[in-house]
Amino acid sequence: MTFWSLFKRNRSAVLGLVILLAIVFMAATAQLFFPEDPFRLIGKPMSSPGENGFLLGSDSLGRDVASGIAHGAKTSLLIGLMATVVAVGFGTIMGGLAGYYGGRIDDLLMRVTEMFQTIPSFIFAILLVAIMKPSIESIVIAIAVVSWPAVARLVRGEFLSLKTREFVQACHTVGMSDIRIILGEILPNCLSPIIVIGSLMVATAILIESGLAFLGLGDPNIMSWGFQIGAGRTLLRSAWWVCTFPGIAILVTVLAINLVGEGLNDALNPRLRERT
Amino acid sequence: MKITKWISGALTAVTMVAAATAARAEGGTLVMLVQPEPPSLASYLSTSGPIGLMAPKIYEGLLDYDKDLQAVPSLAKSYKVSADGKTVTFNLQKGVKWHDGEPFTSADVQFTVMEVLSKIHPRGPNSFREVESIDTPDEHTAIFNLKNPAPYMLRALSGYESPMAPKHLLEGEDYRSAPLGNKPVGTGPFKFVEWKKGQYIRLDKNEDYWKEGLPKLDRIVGRFIPDASTRTAAMENGEVHYGAYGAIPNIDAVRLREMDSIGVTTDGYGMINPMALIEFDTTEPPFDDPKVRKAVSMALDRQFLIDNIWFGYGQPATSALSSNFGATGLHDAEAANYPSGPNVDEAKKLLKEAGAEDISITLDLIPYGEDWRRAGEYMKQALGDIGIKADLRYEDVPTWLKRIYADYDFDMNVNYFYQLPDPVLGVHRHYGTDQIRQGTHFVNSSRYSNPDLDALLVKGAQEPDAEKRAAIYSDVQKILGDDKPVANLFEMNFLTVYDSSLKDHDTSALGAYGSFSEAYFDK
Amino acid sequence: MSRTARRLRYVLKRLLQALPIVLAIVVVNFFLLHMAEGDAVDVLAGEAGSATPEYMAELRAKFGLDQPLPVQLLVYLKNVFSFDLGYSFRHEMPVLDLVLDRFVPTLLLMVSTILLAVGFGIVLGLLAATGLNTWRDTLISIFALVTYATPLFWVGLMFIVIFALNLGWFPTSGMKNVAAFNDTWSWANIKDVAHHLVLPTVTLSLFYLALYTRLMRASMLEQAGMDYVTTARAKGLTENRIMFVHVLRNALLPVVTMAGVQVGALIGGSVIVESVFAWPGLGMLAFEALFARDLNLLLGIFLLSALLVVAVNLVVDIIYSSLDPRIEVG
Repeated sequence: MTFWSLFKRNRSAVLGLVILLAIVFMAATAQLFFPEDPFRLIGKPMSSPGENGFLLGSDSLGRDVASGIAHGAKTSLLIGLMATVVAVGFGTIMGGLAGYYGGRIDDLLMRVTEMFQTIPSFIFAILLVAIMKPSIESIVIAIAVVSWPAVARLVRGEFLSLKTREFVQACHTVGMSDIRIILGEILPNCLSPIIVIGSLMVATAILIESGLAFLGLGDPNIMSWGFQIGAGRTLLRSAWWVCTFPGIAILVTVLAINLVGEGLNDALNPRLRERT
Repeated sequence: MKITKWISGALTAVTMVAAATAARAEGGTLVMLVQPEPPSLASYLSTSGPIGLMAPKIYEGLLDYDKDLQAVPSLAKSYKVSADGKTVTFNLQKGVKWHDGEPFTSADVQFTVMEVLSKIHPRGPNSFREVESIDTPDEHTAIFNLKNPAPYMLRALSGYESPMAPKHLLEGEDYRSAPLGNKPVGTGPFKFVEWKKGQYIRLDKNEDYWKEGLPKLDRIVGRFIPDASTRTAAMENGEVHYGAYGAIPNIDAVRLREMDSIGVTTDGYGMINPMALIEFDTTEPPFDDPKVRKAVSMALDRQFLIDNIWFGYGQPATSALSSNFGATGLHDAEAANYPSGPNVDEAKKLLKEAGAEDISITLDLIPYGEDWRRAGEYMKQALGDIGIKADLRYEDVPTWLKRIYADYDFDMNVNYFYQLPDPVLGVHRHYGTDQIRQGTHFVNSSRYSNPDLDALLVKGAQEPDAEKRAAIYSDVQKILGDDKPVANLFEMNFLTVYDSSLKDHDTSALGAYGSFSEAYFDK
Repeated sequence: MSRTARRLRYVLKRLLQALPIVLAIVVVNFFLLHMAEGDAVDVLAGEAGSATPEYMAELRAKFGLDQPLPVQLLVYLKNVFSFDLGYSFRHEMPVLDLVLDRFVPTLLLMVSTILLAVGFGIVLGLLAATGLNTWRDTLISIFALVTYATPLFWVGLMFIVIFALNLGWFPTSGMKNVAAFNDTWSWANIKDVAHHLVLPTVTLSLFYLALYTRLMRASMLEQAGMDYVTTARAKGLTENRIMFVHVLRNALLPVVTMAGVQVGALIGGSVIVESVFAWPGLGMLAFEALFARDLNLLLGIFLLSALLVVAVNLVVDIIYSSLDPRIEVG
């Protein structure tokens, strides 16, 4: 069966994909529907949804919450994606090398991985952002730094089991170089769990970003959902819409990504495939 | 002119009678919000806000100040200033004991002022800079010998600003790490009992307090709640009774003041006098040009900041001095060459004259809460309207302090300063050439230097005559209004939110920084 | 060699392996923290209002912050090896006292959270797995995902508004009623603390609930596909017996492992929940230490939490091996 027909069988995963595509579309067209800078004060402060031409209301300075959500989608998705790419990339290298070479290299790399896992991760992310100063780059790096060990462990496990398989042994006998074996033979065979863990990581990264913003560690110059929530949280009791809508945006996105991730898991995981 | 001032002991007697009649309402535990958790309770070496909330219940000063900012007796029963203004004699209360039972004497006063406050207190060296020595002819008399008259000193003797510390517990110790810092022993109405880190500080009634019949409360607990929304909820729920200095955000205060069970006041900050402002780096382009600084000042809608970020609490600044100095005649409304409202065209014109069109700058924000971020976001937009592209920078406290006051690595910085009860105490530090002190916080980081102004500031500090002094400060305000090394934004009104059954917590000018000896619940 | 002796040797080996990790954590964080601008003295002086450069220099000398970095590091390491975590610059108190003081509240919150999340997660996961691809399964999955995806602070604040303010069932925040001052071990105090513990625990466990639900579900499904299940079926055992005796037992293994790993990681506390509910845990202590540049305190917290993670992981492995005799330690 093709991947798509497998994926399609999981209806909630398809729903997740549709929602996700809608969010991506929203991020891509934000500039079209809301040409103004989302930070622009364009109307009466604290207008409730529907009032004064604000679809989702305005915040304490008179900024359009809807515009913020549309523009913020780009930032939040970007932070999630970039952090994941960095974490998955680095984690795969570390885990791959450890798993493939084993022995001392494995020991060393796994000790390093353990070290990162031993530090309380959210505090560590806060620490990194505080040191590098709050900006979109530092947030991405911080999230990646606390996320990669999980990838490394996973990839190492896959490599450990794959490298003993016949087709890898065969490559060794024909004198293929290590790098070709790793990139050309083993890696493609453990892509599916990497894709699954990566998809879930995007969701977690978005949540971490909102947590950092809640603590005042967001980038002050870029609109993101985390920023909106951080800025709106003191208004929660008097203008619920300011932080509730971005909160819902995060919820829906995280939900969608998770559903897609589960769908990927079902479609890519051979053992589940046989059974259902 | 001869300045002699005796405060009659009658005032104390009146208080005593009042205490006796109000006895029916005594007792109870007051829970107040203290935010953030203070580093210590050593108010003799730190003026940190949260210390100021707890320590003045434990430590007392020589004087206290009533709601009209007039001095009333505290540890000093009375005081007398000599004809030339160079000798101030304090007549101390008798029978006052430290919480550990030792007697309080003039030796404690001498030690505290000479060894502690004028050496390691952040503002003490300024307040007591004219004090040459203190004589102690007997246990109950302390005579301050001054180099020059220092009228402002008498406004800096409260239990918050200049607390009297026990000599017998500090002498010979390293003042900064003495155990006293975490386990304070004072003469005040409440005794320190326990400090549970991360949770609360507990103070119990001082049964041997020297003011008969006081305090009325059994206990004061200071609670630490990091999140502002939770603080508000705790206040609404009656779990805490008192929150000052922005513990309850303005937006919530606006909502809570509609409730019968909760009161909101802006009283009690008269001696603090907070002013929101922008500091410019006056040594480098573009802000080395007064025109550019003025353009920025002119572009901003001060009322917008007050209405939408501070929810109506505040008044637009009209000069370098707060209008609260109007009470002492120092604020000159006429000199006020401050913009009354935003004027984009005028600001653009100024920028054009200065040749500073389409410039990019970084706007630093004081890292003391969300309100300042909102202010920065507004300013970024307003500056954009006059062609200044501003990038916001919001860093944590140590990074920011180092950047502004040690590295001078900034263009313009949003900040707020306490102007305190006298310009000498709170305003001079911002403008004097002698206040360009690299590495010292909250001084002249604009590095503005003007010999004419310096001369005026020296004269202003020593002039005992009120009218002459007003004239001097009028000139000061003219110069600063024209040059604007600092653009004042608005006079902040801090809020105190309290359980409305709590009475007499506001008898002193110090408000939340007062002793609360007379506070009681009327339930 | 006997099983006990082997175990003992294994434990020793693991502890020895952990030593360089803990050491590396100290060193890395030491340098990281020094990369941050400003130091504890800046913060103290800034809070105090103003201080002269001389005064600040004196303070730096007192804290040893005027020494070159490598010297500071060596001094710190030397102290650590003599089990001395140094003094907190900010609190003027031994780091160990401060951390231990916050350890009990942290443990209370974390253990109750994990118990709640694991308990409910197992039940929900079981329900989902036994009703695979029915509405029950879908509903449980969606519920778990929603609780996971809702930002924690929003849940926390909403709980305060609903359960503390509107319904008045629980206090808004803190660990005990500060007006009462009950004795620590009195019944009244225990009840009071438990009462304060409910909202933060429920909030935090909602976040972890999703994880355990999904893990349990996946683990059940995985086990259900194993050969021994087919064998059991062939032997004619009832489905219920297969499910609840054989499959459940094995499916619990990864859940227990995960719980163990998380208890370790959770020692660092949860900054957000502690902040919202003013719970006096290690997370807030670390958070405040970071922004006060209270280096000794932060390093101390990292060090102790690292030791705990190592210890907990070890215990988990040993439990694991007793649950599943096929896994041998050593």
